[in-house]
Amino acid sequence: MRLEELPAAQAERYATLECPSFNTTPWVEGPPLARRRVAIVSSAGLVVRGERPFRGREADYRVIPGATRADQLLCSHISINFDRTGFQEDWNVIFPLDRLRELAAEGTIGSVAATHYSFMGAAEPSQMEGAAREVAGRLKQDNVDAVLLPPV
Amino acid sequence: MSALGHYIEEEGIPTVAVALVRPQAERTRPPRALWVPFELGRPFGPPSDPAFQKQVILAALRLLEAKARPVLLADFPEDDPREAPDPRWCPPIESPLPFPPPQAGEGMGGGFLADALEAEVAALARPYARSCAERGRTTVGLSGLAPAAAAEYVAAWLRGSPQDSPLADLSPVLCLRFAVDDLKAYALEAAITAGTRPSSRQLGDWLWNDTAIGAAIRALRRQLADSADDRTKLIGTMFLVPALRVMPGG
Repeated sequence: MRLEELPAAQAERYATLECPSFNTTPWVEGPPLARRRVAIVSSAGLVVRGERPFRGREADYRVIPGATRADQLLCSHISINFDRTGFQEDWNVIFPLDRLRELAAEGTIGSVAATHYSFMGAAEPSQMEGAAREVAGRLKQDNVDAVLLPPV
Repeated sequence: MSALGHYIEEEGIPTVAVALVRPQAERTRPPRALWVPFELGRPFGPPSDPAFQKQVILAALRLLEAKARPVLLADFPEDDPREAPDPRWCPPIESPLPFPPPQAGEGMGGGFLADALEAEVAALARPYARSCAERGRTTVGLSGLAPAAAAEYVAAWLRGSPQDSPLADLSPVLCLRFAVDDLKAYALEAAITAGTRPSSRQLGDWLWNDTAIGAAIRALRRQLADSADDRTKLIGTMFLVPALRVMPGG
């Protein structure tokens, strides 16, 4: 998003949103992309139809099986201040599972994870820590070594 | 979500975040992030443009191969081509009732808008069904109510009658929020037609300026803003009408 194109007050609000601070930043390397197993961990409040939507600033997560189809995925992020028409037309705008499958089929990435995950990004980040570490454990069990973290 | 990058990478798995708000990534300092210039809601850019989306994904994933140290924050250079309006796009229906009403005042009551809302939802059924068939999906479904039932529920709130939640595990006002979410999705999906490439602004302008659904949701916002119940007031003012679509005076 280009903040300079927003009304000044709104740009200022986004530019100064409270963010968590971290004293250090981790750094883990891995094999070339063509040998990586890639998962999506979204913060768009995605849920598989039939599962409980996010209702507030909940800090837990939802599981999105790799076999999920586009017609099964809903967005329950509590904010109404972002575009949803892109997702309505094409789920890859938020959750690019079709693109990852294509990249795997053509050999650009090694494989696509068996399971993906979604948080609801308006939750307090520090409250998401436990759930995020739990997701990391599940990703390791699936031999994932590349995580794509899209916002919304 | 840059904080997730810290937590997951600390557990030993390489991550790359996509960032829509660059200052947030600058301050949260995840291991790797790709800033994209697209509007909120579109982290991978334009819908129905696989080649462009793939460029964005690869720009992000290639950061995983960089021999660098944290923090690695890169910028995606191209804008979303779908930000431009499509002059070929046109609304899916004409308003089914005289709308907006000829004069403000008595005719603008909740009853008028409730009737107009239900009529419009009925009139949109055909274009919505056609659009669903074209896209092979719908994103309507958070409330669990069919569109006509969601319209009926929202209309009842507008008419001012006390509302029980039709769903056992949802409070009335939460059911209202999800029903409104579903009606917005229903209308916008009805307006997405194969062969045109409307911008989000075109679609939003239509919903909020030219439809009974948009007018009804605005009226509901004004109505709930006066609620004595704090939660109802919060949902009414913050979770129905996008901030940029709130008009002066509510």
